[in-house]
Amino acid sequence: MIDCPNGDVRDLLPDYLHDRLESSARMSVEQHLAGCAACREELALLRDLRGTLQRAPRIDVAAVAAAIPAYRPAARKSWASGWRVAAAIAAIAVGGASVALLNRMQNQKQMAQGPVTQPDVTPYVGPTSTPATTPQPMPVQPPTPAVAHANPSVTHSEPTTKAAGAPSGEELAIAGGTIADLSDGELSDLLGDIESLDAVPSTEVESTESLLTGRHRGRHD
Amino acid sequence: MTDVALPTDERTDLDLIARWKAGEQRAATLLVERHAHAVARFAASIGARDDVEEVVQDTFVRAFASIDGFRGDSSLRTWLFTIARRLLLDRRRSARRRGEQVEVRENDAATEYDSLDGVVADETQRRLQAALAKLSPTQREVFVLRVSEGMSYAEIADTVGTTEGAARVHYHNAMRTIKELLDD
Repeated sequence: MIDCPNGDVRDLLPDYLHDRLESSARMSVEQHLAGCAACREELALLRDLRGTLQRAPRIDVAAVAAAIPAYRPAARKSWASGWRVAAAIAAIAVGGASVALLNRMQNQKQMAQGPVTQPDVTPYVGPTSTPATTPQPMPVQPPTPAVAHANPSVTHSEPTTKAAGAPSGEELAIAGGTIADLSDGELSDLLGDIESLDAVPSTEVESTESLLTGRHRGRHD
Repeated sequence: MTDVALPTDERTDLDLIARWKAGEQRAATLLVERHAHAVARFAASIGARDDVEEVVQDTFVRAFASIDGFRGDSSLRTWLFTIARRLLLDRRRSARRRGEQVEVRENDAATEYDSLDGVVADETQRRLQAALAKLSPTQREVFVLRVSEGMSYAEIADTVGTTEGAARVHYHNAMRTIKELLDD
């Protein structure tokens, strides 16, 4: 069986067979068929193949139709259930975010309070709070132990710890005086600064330490 | 090329769907009568055997259950073929998990067709069926949709999940294979 070299016409033969061509295309194919034995032969083969393929297995159409239930508008139900699912997901997400936020706030509070109860270490309070929040007259100096000992003023400051929630005497000494030197307004500002520590964006303690290390390194450079 | 027959059919399908949704159960029966045999032929061509009627019934039940998802982008028949095809693929996967051998092998489709249509007396028909049986599953699927159902390559691509170009290549390869087999 020879193939016609006109692939376009051969491509249209199944459409011609099923009468799916518009009139101009159908006329074009018919003109070609009139002069092409190969295409006529292929069309005849397609017709036979269609007859063979359309020998469908017997099915009980009435039984198939009987299995079709009456129409039920599912859209309303699915909308409702969809909104329920969406609401549940939103509630879970909001709840989870709230818990995470609370945990973070608690962590920040602990981080802010921790160094005060352990004044020997002071890894966080000084560098974070002092440079950003100390009133202008106070010199900005990170209260690391090394710096504190290097400062002669430390020698006459009180080495004991203060109550939790208040800056230690050592920190105040580093800042240039003792707590007794502060006016009521300055004391109020300082307490406000301490309170504002909660708003300082911080991540983990490790990153804060690395930040401190970087500051030390920068100062030594 | 434009489709001169299907738009009317599609309008009829959409009209019947609307009537069924309005409560006329007879409209569903008419839709089944219009498409059930074509779905059965297609299911048989892609490997359904003794379960053809079951596949056809499941196809229609699923289609009617999700009729609101039918947007009319394709013809209803194309949509039904797509559902039938997915059903058969699911069945094959399930059967494979159970350890059954259900793959359509290259050379056993003649038996498949015999089982669908009883004894084939005509010699020409037998030779044609033997030639069709030699096609690869994909070639046969595309060829059936093109020759038996008269689908365009775009519709075939939608149904089979391929491109128009690939569908065209499969069709012409199938045609060449059949001619070579018939010439032997």
